[in-house]
Amino acid sequence: MTTPRVRCKNISKRFRLGDHHESLGDLIAAGIRKLIRPRPCGRRQAGDDGALLWAVRNLEFSVQPGEALGVIGPNGAGKSTLLRLLAGILRPDEGDLEVQGRVTALIEVGAGFHGDLTGRENIYLNGAILGMSRAEVRRKLDAIVDFAGIGRFLDEPVKRYSSGMYARLGFGIAAHVDPDVLLVDEVLSVGDAVFRLRCMEHMRRLLREGVALVFVSHQLDQVQSICERALVLEAGRCAFDGPSREAVAQYLTAMSYGFAARPTDLTATDQRDPVVADCQLRFLDERGDEVVWIRADRPLWAELQLRLRRPVQNLIVELNLRASPQENLLSFNSGRSGKTLDFGVGEHTIILNVPRVPLAGGQYFWNVRAWDADQSVTLLDTPLRFPMVVDDGGKATGKLVLEHSWHVDPTQSADGAQSETPGTTGVRYAVEESSLAIAAP
Amino acid sequence: MVGTFNRLGWCSALTELLRFRCLLLSLTRRDLRVRYAQSMLGIAWAVLQPFSMMLVFTFVFTRAVVGTSLALDENLPYSLYAYAGLVPWTFFSSSLNNCLNSLVANRNLVTKVYFPREVLPLSCVAGSLVDFCVAMSVLFLLGLYFHWTGQFTPDVGPAVGFLPLIVLIQLGLTAGLGMILAAANLFYRDVRPIFGVVIPLWMFLSNVVVPVRSDGSVFASIIAWNPLLSLISAYRDCLLHGRVPQASGMLYACVASVLTFIGGWAIFRRASYRFAERI
Repeated sequence: MTTPRVRCKNISKRFRLGDHHESLGDLIAAGIRKLIRPRPCGRRQAGDDGALLWAVRNLEFSVQPGEALGVIGPNGAGKSTLLRLLAGILRPDEGDLEVQGRVTALIEVGAGFHGDLTGRENIYLNGAILGMSRAEVRRKLDAIVDFAGIGRFLDEPVKRYSSGMYARLGFGIAAHVDPDVLLVDEVLSVGDAVFRLRCMEHMRRLLREGVALVFVSHQLDQVQSICERALVLEAGRCAFDGPSREAVAQYLTAMSYGFAARPTDLTATDQRDPVVADCQLRFLDERGDEVVWIRADRPLWAELQLRLRRPVQNLIVELNLRASPQENLLSFNSGRSGKTLDFGVGEHTIILNVPRVPLAGGQYFWNVRAWDADQSVTLLDTPLRFPMVVDDGGKATGKLVLEHSWHVDPTQSADGAQSETPGTTGVRYAVEESSLAIAAP
Repeated sequence: MVGTFNRLGWCSALTELLRFRCLLLSLTRRDLRVRYAQSMLGIAWAVLQPFSMMLVFTFVFTRAVVGTSLALDENLPYSLYAYAGLVPWTFFSSSLNNCLNSLVANRNLVTKVYFPREVLPLSCVAGSLVDFCVAMSVLFLLGLYFHWTGQFTPDVGPAVGFLPLIVLIQLGLTAGLGMILAAANLFYRDVRPIFGVVIPLWMFLSNVVVPVRSDGSVFASIIAWNPLLSLISAYRDCLLHGRVPQASGMLYACVASVLTFIGGWAIFRRASYRFAERI
């Protein structure tokens, strides 16, 4: 077994909240207080402990050359702090940290760019900041410019660059450092889709060359596609360390429980007295077991639980499937499906069945809405979407998958022997109706 | 092998700094480019700053103020005296002023990229050194001018050879103080206004534009502890008078410089682990 490039042994990092001597006045005052009362009384000590935040707590992992480790977790879980520790920007308060070789951290693209300098000058400057010599930058200049695609803007001051160009140049420089350890923090969210793909491709190439990669991202599909292993951080602690698929599932499960635990967030209608007291959405497989990971091309049962505070006649429920918070892919509307829902007070379970999930692999969100159709009042519109991950074994790209097949026209084919049976149409679409079922309350 | 946190040792600190010497040059180049890029006079400001100060002090002390007897030397015009003091002084004060801000102004770098943080204040000193060299060359032109008007007989001798040593001593002193100030200003922003008060006082205690008293009084002996005093006198000795600088003063400045540099660097390195979280 090769020696790991990154080895963390039980590292912790704490931050002190408040109680900073931000000015000399505070420092002098604190000094005088210490002189007057040299021994801190119990109250002060308690205050000191209370103001500590463990941004990273007892993390233990290592990364081998050629290995990609994903780090996922909610905001404030300590992902960026961890990356800064690895980069040497921060120092762990406890534990041992060993990083071998040249470390390049992409914590913010274009950190250190100076707006008044041209792209070329910034390449030299940023290269130097990342530890490259001038000769090394000169050698790689063409490759960097090519990668960033800034071409004729090379000798323009970067303050005139678009934000995309800025980001591309920043990543382009960092990508050409030839690091032994590459730390990437949520930087691929900038730039267009083509550039993102190019970055992913570049990182894969670096991995093949034996670079150790630590990749922090909220784009769970990116983490899955590039990392075999991932850490889930929660409040600075490691909640899971294992295959990235399972890590994403684990994270999403934790996240959806986190959502369900806050029903006030879900009933986002501005009613004083919400009719819908609670709303939960679970996904079930054929056996009726709850799943977070949905298999494409298989049946899906989405189980919606509503708790009503007063009876509603003619309730309409709509489930919206979104690929991103803004982009609505599909809507399932009980009213349009011709299902009349008359509910009394209490818990109700509605199950949406889709016989075959027509989705490509990736992350999706559900938004739940409900109306009282008789009185045209919106009862529920969840602002936080329930996450769902679809696994299709990497067969499709995009979002939707329609049943289809490919054929070659034998009359125009040069080599008729390879052609398919004549007579079939080019693409066959199969549309299957979704159905709604109501379980007894 | 580079253990990320075994960097306290002097040896590794030095090798690391050497590894990032390109960064030092690049940052210096950036500072100079940015400072002079959008100004019409460009690098001429490196000369104009001490030169205009020289004009101001010449006007004040030889024309405007009564009762000052600045008969320093029959053979030395006041303008030349003042400029020879103002150039190294500007080097010192503008270096420190830039160092003071160097970490805070580059917050983005300090919190987002790893590199030896010493590079930031050191590049400020290096940038001011370039200005200093440009301004120094004008001293030569000024000497020629006064020689041409007959007010000054240049006495250039082998003593000029001391100039690099004097500059080196000043560099050490400036870099050491600059690192302390940069770190201090990061933690306590009050350092800046305090610095603004101290620096003019320091100027008048360093023989820059007027000689300080050297009459053996208690006050004079306190002032004599100022290493800048010996340094600025040494500049004049070797450039204007063709004299070898006073040995005791040079030795004292040299020791002060080495101690300040090592002490300043040690303080800076110790503090640098907290920079990213406290900036």
